[in-house]
Amino acid sequence: MSDGFRLGLFTTIVRPEEKAILAAATARGVPVDRLDDGEQTFGLETPAGLPDVLLDRSVSHTRALYAAIAYAHYGVPVVNPPEVLELAGDKIRTSFRLSERGIPTPRTVVALSPEAAARAIEQVGYPAVLKPAVGSWGRLMAKVDDAGSAEQIVEHKSALGAPQHSIFYVQEFVRKPDRDLRVFVVGDEVVAAMYRASSDWRTNAARGATTAAAPVGPELRELALRAASAVGGGVLAVDLMEGPGGLVVHEVNPTPEFKSLAATTGVDIAGHIVEYAVGVGRR
Amino acid sequence: MTECPECAASVESHDKIVGEIFPCRECGTELEVNAVEPFGVQPAPHEAEDWGE
Repeated sequence: MSDGFRLGLFTTIVRPEEKAILAAATARGVPVDRLDDGEQTFGLETPAGLPDVLLDRSVSHTRALYAAIAYAHYGVPVVNPPEVLELAGDKIRTSFRLSERGIPTPRTVVALSPEAAARAIEQVGYPAVLKPAVGSWGRLMAKVDDAGSAEQIVEHKSALGAPQHSIFYVQEFVRKPDRDLRVFVVGDEVVAAMYRASSDWRTNAARGATTAAAPVGPELRELALRAASAVGGGVLAVDLMEGPGGLVVHEVNPTPEFKSLAATTGVDIAGHIVEYAVGVGRR
Repeated sequence: MTECPECAASVESHDKIVGEIFPCRECGTELEVNAVEPFGVQPAPHEAEDWGE
């Protein structure tokens, strides 16, 4: 690529995913500007020397979101756009959106105070799951088995103090096999899928779940693409569970990791991402 | 080659790049590459509550 096109790679740290993206860009002759999220400042006027597209891979959701807002303001297309990060980065907003689009998702009740949280948990029924609205890797998630543990968990959460912990996102505990599904969507394509199995009810790869490639049948493909489209589309990892009534979408991740998925399936996910980002930048 | 800032074990650069995160082979501390010429590392930033996917 010798026409001056440049891809901006915005990072906090360089994980195997970002290293794979750099290698995929090099292999395709795409020049990359590496942008460290801890070093950037963003004025209101459009600066010089901007990349043609920003691949926003900040591991901090907050930094990723504000960087996306700034670059979009400067007229640089961002993968994923700020609207997508804002929506998919917030599990509460995602649940409402999935429901609006008729996409099966676990029964969910939101409460804004500890008193209402107790009622929300009763409405969902036991066992229930309490999750932070923003967060990943299974962090600070709690399975609530009965009224006694509900009271203690709500009290502990309230004591954390931060405003985001004063909002309670309560979801039914889906009785699924000891595994869930991760489907990786790039644009309008499902590029790879895997099972994540664990004896822990949290099947995050970051928690050491074992993985296996999953076949992508028409139902799984359609549901994953609808879920990705519901949050605005782009590069997204859709997480699904096999519930008693069929597949349910429980998360759509807007800055997805893919080290395990690439190793498990042999798919060049970084290559798909780079080609998609270049396409977005050239639109 | 440089030293782990935690345990002083020797740490080799191999093909690492600036910003890359990796664990020290001796003590397991997560390290971040802060320079390649000459090779240097520092303790990796701590995971924050909004870190993730």
